[in-house]
Amino acid sequence: MAPATDTPAAGPWEALDGLDPLLQHRARIAAAVLLSRHGALSFSRLKALLGETDGNLGAQLRKLEDAGYIGVRKEFQDRRPVTWYRLTPKGRRGLASHLETLDRLVATARARD
Amino acid sequence: MTSMDQIEQDLRYVRSAVEQAGASPTPRLLCFLWAALGGVGFALVDLRDAWVPAYWAVAGPAGFVVSAVLGWRHARRLGQGTARDGARHMLHWGGMLGAIALAVLLPARGLVPASAAGPVILLLLALGYFQAGVHLDPAFRWVGLLLATGYVLVLTMTTWGWLTLGVLFALALVATGLRAGADGTGD
Repeated sequence: MAPATDTPAAGPWEALDGLDPLLQHRARIAAAVLLSRHGALSFSRLKALLGETDGNLGAQLRKLEDAGYIGVRKEFQDRRPVTWYRLTPKGRRGLASHLETLDRLVATARARD
Repeated sequence: MTSMDQIEQDLRYVRSAVEQAGASPTPRLLCFLWAALGGVGFALVDLRDAWVPAYWAVAGPAGFVVSAVLGWRHARRLGQGTARDGARHMLHWGGMLGAIALAVLLPARGLVPASAAGPVILLLLALGYFQAGVHLDPAFRWVGLLLATGYVLVLTMTTWGWLTLGVLFALALVATGLRAGADGTGD
């Protein structure tokens, strides 16, 4: 059996092809997982949980929003603007498929060890 | 770094965020509310026995509704979920309230003596709080254990057992509330 390499197409790494490129960034997948567990999260809560800067988190969330993975709702709480995020059905399907591929990848890698 | 290392590192980051989100403590005001309601309710058994059924018939459901509102407000301020987490809490505490309401049927139908109703309900409360400690907020495990100890206390202490339990229960929930507010997300 060939040794493990960084080449995606080599042996078990073929599974990498099934990964959703949009969810391969750690902040994006973490945001998607959190949204799938909690239903809705505000920008400030996501920022606190992920430890990202305003600019970086905003940019990553915008990518998910542009792809139709998350929905955004803005409202005022105690006169302060609050932005809420929610996973869309498309995002939920994308996340499920991505996690399934990750599962397969981990199982394949363990089988090789 | 290999792709696998990168994936493992990313998954650790995701897990850390998920654990942090799940560790949100119970709102401080909720703990104080039930410290007052429970403390008075338990003490009444020793002080004004006849008032107990009426007190809990009002305080139980009213406390549940006020708790739901406080929990909803807390989630909004925290910026974390509303419907899903709220439903989990409502099912847990609502289930416990329902079990207690059904337990009242036992003495009402003459299946157990009226004097057994208090300890039976106390045991359900102990189980409910302990399960809340397992599934919702770890601090409630200690409250559950305290209530279970209180169950033994009221069975063995002939006087002031309920009053003592009321004071200890209130103190335990106030302590839980003060801990909950320590990180600024408690209310």
